[in-house]
Amino acid sequence: MKKLQLEICCGTTCYMLGANRLLNIENEMPSELRGKCEVKALPCMGLCNDKELAGAPYVKLNGIVIENATAEKIYDKIRELLEA
Amino acid sequence: MYSQLFVEMEHFQFTKTGQAACGDDIQMKVLKGENRYLAVLSDGLGSGVKAHVLANMTTTMALRYLQSNMDTLQSVETIMDSLPVCEVRKISYATFSMVDLRLGGITRIVEMGNPQYIQLRGNKEIQPLKHETIVSSRWPERQVECYELKMEPGDRLIVCSDGVTQSGLGEGPQYRFGWRRSGEMEYAQERIKGNPDISSYALARSIAYKAYGISKNTCKDDITCMVIYMRKPRVMRLLTGPPYHKDHDAIFAGHADLGEEHTIICGGTTANILERITGKSVEIDISKLRPGDKLPPVGRLPGVAMATEGILTLTRVCQALENSEPVETLPAAGRKIIEMMLQHDKIEFIVGTKVNEAHQDPSLPQDLELRRGVIRRISAALNQKFRKETEITFF
Repeated sequence: MKKLQLEICCGTTCYMLGANRLLNIENEMPSELRGKCEVKALPCMGLCNDKELAGAPYVKLNGIVIENATAEKIYDKIRELLEA
Repeated sequence: MYSQLFVEMEHFQFTKTGQAACGDDIQMKVLKGENRYLAVLSDGLGSGVKAHVLANMTTTMALRYLQSNMDTLQSVETIMDSLPVCEVRKISYATFSMVDLRLGGITRIVEMGNPQYIQLRGNKEIQPLKHETIVSSRWPERQVECYELKMEPGDRLIVCSDGVTQSGLGEGPQYRFGWRRSGEMEYAQERIKGNPDISSYALARSIAYKAYGISKNTCKDDITCMVIYMRKPRVMRLLTGPPYHKDHDAIFAGHADLGEEHTIICGGTTANILERITGKSVEIDISKLRPGDKLPPVGRLPGVAMATEGILTLTRVCQALENSEPVETLPAAGRKIIEMMLQHDKIEFIVGTKVNEAHQDPSLPQDLELRRGVIRRISAALNQKFRKETEITFF
């Protein structure tokens, strides 16, 4: 099965507001989710200036934006996509 | 021809084993307007703090006299008269070498008691144009050697304390008289042959380490080596921040053309501009992250040395330069930027001035300065503390 693409924004705002704690997410995932994602860091997605969005840090899972991203939110989204 | 040259003056030293302070001292000064480069190395009598005070007094006075073009004999006499008298030896003493390098003109070297300097053009030793020995009537036992020489582009001057030339003294038949000036020169020639572009710092460090090694990795005396290298400047560019006007992006990105080894991109949006214009993408390696790293990871972008985050990284670089922090203690991005800056002579900053509104969010946990302010501070620190030439262009 093709791995899900998880992209973590490493721009200034995202990094300071929590992306730094997400960079090691691959090793911290619950065992059933490990190996299901390919994790990548990106320079800046430019989402921090989008007033429509809820706030940094931002990650994208298979292109879907997760706002105010936390590890738990990411795990939930991975589960959702895996079940779909 | 000379106006485009850079004079790289660096040194490396080891403190005598068991001492808290180095008894050798070095001071350097660049008088840009006069195209003069001054350097003084002094070896204080004895070792430790007392020797350091003598050496530091000597370098401070000598540098000031050089700067004001004071007569050589008068300078030397004033220095000798001013030094405190050693309780043990009943003499006031600090040996020294004074270098007054003039771009395109005559370079003068005055030595008292220090090993003779070495001038190398590639691997070849160059003899001085003129050499004269003067003796002060007040200090008749001291000889002052005065040399005049011509420094050509690519030439190196090596000046050291006797801790270098006397290293290994008594360590077997090979070093009955120590490493000596001839040994030091042969070693320098060998190093230059292996790496004709070797930097002043690398050569000074290598010579000092060799002297240390010859003494079986202990220092029986303070070891100091200074190298002055006159060469074409090594230029690097740091691009940071998106331009204020979006239609200037292409011209801005065009400045990243100095070659892979000489360009850094600092900033996510800046990297995006480069990606868009060059069609290449940034790849960030997160496998080498250390837990608790305070700076975002470094990215690779073909055509430049590295792509890093912007303002956090630059602020950290600025603090480290201003406080002379050891680079080894910094996260990778900060360390790599500073190492690259120190390997170059001229640093050109290409700075986009568009403000990222998201950085003004009060919920951000740290103060974020405006980019141009941080760059001005980095530029000042590089100028003043590291004698680097800098240039800032705003977009």
